[in-house]
Amino acid sequence: MDAIQINQVTKTYRVGATETHALDHINLTIGEGEFTALVGPSGSGKTTLLQIIGCLDKPDQGTVLIKGQEVTRLSANQRADLRRTSIGFVFQFFALVPVLTAYENVELPLLLSGMKTSERRARVLELLNAVGLEDRAHHRPDQLSGGQQQRVAIARALGPRPVLVLADEPTANLDTANGHQAMEIMQRLNQETGTAFVYATHDPRVIAFARRVVKMEDGKIIDNL
Amino acid sequence: MLSKLWILAYRDLGRNRRRTILSIVAVALGLGLLILMNGYIAGVMDESVQNNIRLNTGHLQIRADSYTEGELSLAWPDLLRDPEVLAAHAATLPGVRGAAPVLWAGGVIATPNDSLGIQITGIDPTSTIYDPIREALVGGVFLSADDRTGIMIGRRLAEELGLAVGSDVSLTVVDSDGNADEGVFTVRGLFHTGIPSYDQGSVLMPLAKAQAFARTERRASAIMIMLHDNQALVSVSAALRSPDLQLLSWQDMNRLFLETMQTGLAFYYILDGIVMLIVAVIIANTLLMSVFERIREMGILSALGMKGRHLTQMLLLEAACMGLVGIALGLVLGLGGVAYLTYVGITIGDIASVAGDSIALGSTIHGRFVPETFAGLSIATFIFVLLAALYPAWYAARLEPVVALRG
Ligand SMILES: Nc1ncnc2c1ncn2[C@@H]1O[C@H](COP(=O)(O)OP(=O)(O)O)[C@@H](O)[C@H]1O
Ligand SMILES: [Mg+2]
Repeated sequence: MDAIQINQVTKTYRVGATETHALDHINLTIGEGEFTALVGPSGSGKTTLLQIIGCLDKPDQGTVLIKGQEVTRLSANQRADLRRTSIGFVFQFFALVPVLTAYENVELPLLLSGMKTSERRARVLELLNAVGLEDRAHHRPDQLSGGQQQRVAIARALGPRPVLVLADEPTANLDTANGHQAMEIMQRLNQETGTAFVYATHDPRVIAFARRVVKMEDGKIIDNL
Repeated sequence: MLSKLWILAYRDLGRNRRRTILSIVAVALGLGLLILMNGYIAGVMDESVQNNIRLNTGHLQIRADSYTEGELSLAWPDLLRDPEVLAAHAATLPGVRGAAPVLWAGGVIATPNDSLGIQITGIDPTSTIYDPIREALVGGVFLSADDRTGIMIGRRLAEELGLAVGSDVSLTVVDSDGNADEGVFTVRGLFHTGIPSYDQGSVLMPLAKAQAFARTERRASAIMIMLHDNQALVSVSAALRSPDLQLLSWQDMNRLFLETMQTGLAFYYILDGIVMLIVAVIIANTLLMSVFERIREMGILSALGMKGRHLTQMLLLEAACMGLVGIALGLVLGLGGVAYLTYVGITIGDIASVAGDSIALGSTIHGRFVPETFAGLSIATFIFVLLAALYPAWYAARLEPVVALRG
């Protein structure tokens, strides 16, 4: 079964009299374990699409199936549950909870899922290890570099073993070396865990990591390899 | 789950430490003020009633059925015929500390330059129920029962009329036949009870002389009874009940006063409410600001699958934290203040004289510990704090994740 199946998804923003067709009848399928780049110029609709796939937002029209389940008509709480169990997020800004340590940030979604203490601890250490930050476990975000913060975010996204990790321009705020490292880690974790990754970018060096590239322009998919 | 919310709430409070401390201080000062205010009022009420009992009314009075409070009637049917017998009987009852006949008459005190309306009280100088006056003696000597020309007045009245121990004054009374009688008396002693209305408006003389002066023969206005403590009130009343007599307890005699006080308290209840409201607004403001600052963070939390209800819980926990710490501090402040009021008191000097005749306030005001009231105020403060958190919490809970993530 496909991880994601999107049919005829439309999203229009109205600001005053102007209408922006952020997504214009999008059809897209993401298979399990894919490593896909969502590419397009700024304003082409990448963020909007990721938010709809990630159940953070609802489309105006069309359907979104996650592992075969139609999600556009779910309640806010049901969507929260779905995000918690099935989807991981990595944002452009390093979206860690500032008052929690690296360890606690990774632990948070596991806590929300009600994982047992011993199991949780092992899982957090395993993830921090996987992103090379076991020695930074008890640092707060403001004590970590941008690259380190983004690696914590990647670890956190993978904690509940989601079907899919959505990363919106994960390297945009990182220098080349750190961006490269973050992409390598995502690529490796994609291969090791079989979790699908969809990441938005317009950086050619970052696109190069993808096994599949979906190109967008003006809310439409113009190239789908 | 709740444990992690605790950590989040706790750490969030630490993030903007100054604001958190300000909120806690607001709760503490608010509650401290409420406790102080209520402890003070309870003290004032209690003290006024106790003073009134001690000096004016006693715990229990026996009067003729037709005697009406405030008229100071000297008409024979309104007076007690055998006051000594009644008083002696009352004094034998268990729980009674002292009982003595008393005669009241309205009168005028006059010096060559000045005259003032006063209340003449004929007392049995040997009775222990006048110990408070004996203790309050500040000049001269206490009356003796067989003194035919001596009176005692308050130092305040003496100062007002330029009198001293040994001064002669003229007293006029309208006697039981309705005729004005005048006599010259000598000031034997000066008392200072600290209760302006009493120190300013009372002239004490031995009962026998008062009876002769007012032509009441052996009659008295009332038997004044002091008890060892309030518990005996019911049994003593029952023992003294008789068809042609009225029995008035200190509650009856202070009813008007207590009711006036209660009405006055309505104002304080409003004040209590205002203080709590201010505290609530400060808390609501703090939490709302911290919600606005953390909107993106809440977006992240909800992207991770946290539900609106968890965000609500988190903010309520933050409010509860601030509330509890503030309440603890407020209790320390308030109880400290009440302790000071209770054991030291504040001297208000002559201000109390403006309070009027019916309120027997001493010149030093004391507070009182009323644990039930203080507990109630603490709980009410806590509830107000939580109520204040509801709006910010509700606001956070209904944030759309996408909107929140945009920050
Ligand atoms: N909340 C919004 N309100 C109005 N217009 C929006 C909003 N979000 C996005 N848009 C518009 O939708 C289009 C797509 O935006 P977005 O999905 O952010 O593109 P990208 O991520 O590819 O830069 C843009 O024209 C953008 O201005
Ligand atoms: Mg974008």
